[in-house]
Amino acid sequence: MSDFNLEVRKEGEIVVIKTSGYLNNVGGEKISEVCYKEIEDKSKFFLLDLENTKVVNSIGVSILIEIIEKLQDVDGKLGYYNLAPIVEKTFNIMGLTKYSSVFYSENEALEGIL
Amino acid sequence: MASKGAIIVVKKEKDTHFLATQGFSKEINPSDLFKDLNKKKEQNLFYINEKNTSINNKIKEDLKKQKIKILIPLFHKQDLLGVFCIGNKFMNQSFTDLDVKIMSIISSHLTKALYNHHLIKELDSKKREISLKLLELETLFDISVAISSVLNVDELSEDVLWRSVGILNASKGMLLIQKKDNLILEPISTFNWDEEKSLISKKLKVFQEIKGNKKGLFLVEKDKTTLQKKLKESNLIITPLQVKNKTLGYMVLCNKETRKGVEEFNSLDLDLLMALSNQAAVAMENAALFKDITKEKNFNESILSSIATGVITINILGEIDSINSAGLKILKKEKEDIIGNHYMYLFEKDEEIIELIIKTETKNEKNKIVNIPFLSVSEETRINFSTSPRVDKDKKIKGSVLAIEDITDVSKIKKTFKRYVSKQVVEKLLEDDAKLNLGGEKREVTVLFSDIRGFTSMSEKMEPEKVVSTLNSYFSLMIDIVFKNNGTLDKIIGDELMIVFGAPTSSKDDTERAVKTAIEMQDKIKTFNKQQIIENEKPIKVGIGINKGLVVSGNIGSKELMDYTVIGDTVNLGARLCSAAGPDEIITSDSVWFETKKTFNYKKLKPIKVKGKRSEVQVYKIQK
Repeated sequence: MSDFNLEVRKEGEIVVIKTSGYLNNVGGEKISEVCYKEIEDKSKFFLLDLENTKVVNSIGVSILIEIIEKLQDVDGKLGYYNLAPIVEKTFNIMGLTKYSSVFYSENEALEGIL
Repeated sequence: MASKGAIIVVKKEKDTHFLATQGFSKEINPSDLFKDLNKKKEQNLFYINEKNTSINNKIKEDLKKQKIKILIPLFHKQDLLGVFCIGNKFMNQSFTDLDVKIMSIISSHLTKALYNHHLIKELDSKKREISLKLLELETLFDISVAISSVLNVDELSEDVLWRSVGILNASKGMLLIQKKDNLILEPISTFNWDEEKSLISKKLKVFQEIKGNKKGLFLVEKDKTTLQKKLKESNLIITPLQVKNKTLGYMVLCNKETRKGVEEFNSLDLDLLMALSNQAAVAMENAALFKDITKEKNFNESILSSIATGVITINILGEIDSINSAGLKILKKEKEDIIGNHYMYLFEKDEEIIELIIKTETKNEKNKIVNIPFLSVSEETRINFSTSPRVDKDKKIKGSVLAIEDITDVSKIKKTFKRYVSKQVVEKLLEDDAKLNLGGEKREVTVLFSDIRGFTSMSEKMEPEKVVSTLNSYFSLMIDIVFKNNGTLDKIIGDELMIVFGAPTSSKDDTERAVKTAIEMQDKIKTFNKQQIIENEKPIKVGIGINKGLVVSGNIGSKELMDYTVIGDTVNLGARLCSAAGPDEIITSDSVWFETKKTFNYKKLKPIKVKGKRSEVQVYKIQK
């Protein structure tokens, strides 16, 4: 596993970001860059497909918290799906799941985030 | 009604900022101001004038320039939380007592508000710290769970490395395994690291130091070790994968990430990674042991399943706890019908076997019985049965091991062949099934025919019983000689014997043994005749013919009556030579003479005309 890559697509008013690689400082910054730009363009709903992200660290989590805070200002939401057990556990422990949603499939996520 | 004012707060130690300003240019350096105020620890209202000595003159001048008239430090107990500054009152009026009182009340509220804000921030920070600690504990717990659940070394090492990288906020990491007789540490798992660039010697000073101390270390930029140069990284943390005195390998993580960039690892990180590594080492050792045990178990099972002997293990209670595939085949049962049952149920029809097992159980000794019927399967089945005590490493009896060798086919072969060939040939055949080709094949053999000269006319003058007893005595002596020389008794036709050397098994000296057999037969007949004379019976004279050549051998006959024999011209000529031989004579063909001329004395005879051959055949006679 190396580098961090993103694929961004839009499903209606939802921005879906598929990640690949370690969600750390670098990965988190790349996600936030996309999110902030989309927020400026009036997007409010964001989904992260973390199927290919098996490891996340606390810096990555803190960047996600910052994104959630930004989204709260515009009544937006952040959600995740395809989480590895380690990642889900980290999100839970770090309190991320109190302010954002975990889904267990893409369909569920696309319906649930709105 | 002041012209300007500001609330300056302490964010962190030495980190101050303006919370709110009104007409304030922010030219004051709050840090210097706070340093001065902190010395006094006074929660008083200060007028910024010459009488005030709490603040140094430079700051005082700055505040004056800003037209700050009053300054109130916001202390909570001994902690300076901030400063409340007020400028001149409108129209340069003097502050009244009421103003001062109002400002005091405002300051008091501000202090409480700042303190609450400070508490909330601290709580958030503590909460985050606790979350991280919880994550660390959960990670340790997960790895300890993995010890008992994940038994694949590769999967386990990847899991441990990923968790460690994540929990320590490292940018990359690898797990290196130390293999015996290999100087290079093998990366068993990597994360964000190019494996090909990870050619690392275990002799590096860093690893030697870690191995010696059994404790990890972290390296910072100034260390400049070979490992840092080799990996082109400054900030590293390395821990041993240690199980007691054995170093299995090392965990290497690189670059501790923060929002502000990479920072050095510290002793807390080292403690955490040591805890993770210790857990991981135990898990990996367990997984490796499990792999070895599984390999050994599979190896044992493959041996047990490949051997023809049935092997059954019974526990201390006499219940069957394992049986190999050969055992199932011999017993003609399914595994489910056997496992868990008592051996007495399995061998209920075989008292001899049950007695043998009991003997082993009670006397703790090995026992064996051979060639017994196995009635639990069928009356025809015959087995060799042996029992051995089953003991553990402390020599404690844990049950018995039973071995069953199905010799039904062997018995059949023995029964079939023992009439024709010697015991040795039967054993040789049974040792190697490949030699036993009963389906028919071309092979080179030596055939020996013997015939009692004039026996038909002689027998006409004898009592029938005497004819039979004389023949039986004669054949018994002859067949003993044949078997002694490993010949195969092919047929007895009246007073004629047909013996084959070289089928069903062959050897280099088949022809030599055939001639030797013939000589011994003639010698034995002389002894036989002496007895005949003593018993007032007529002596007998035998003629023997021997030929060597290709025949077809195999089980020949109908379904009802099938015999192992040889057929072909070689056999026919052997019979003709026997006919041509005179009393007491041994006549051989050219091929027999050629092969054994150096061993025996031959006399070349005139070629003879034999039935079925156009040209005459050269024959030889054995000379005594």
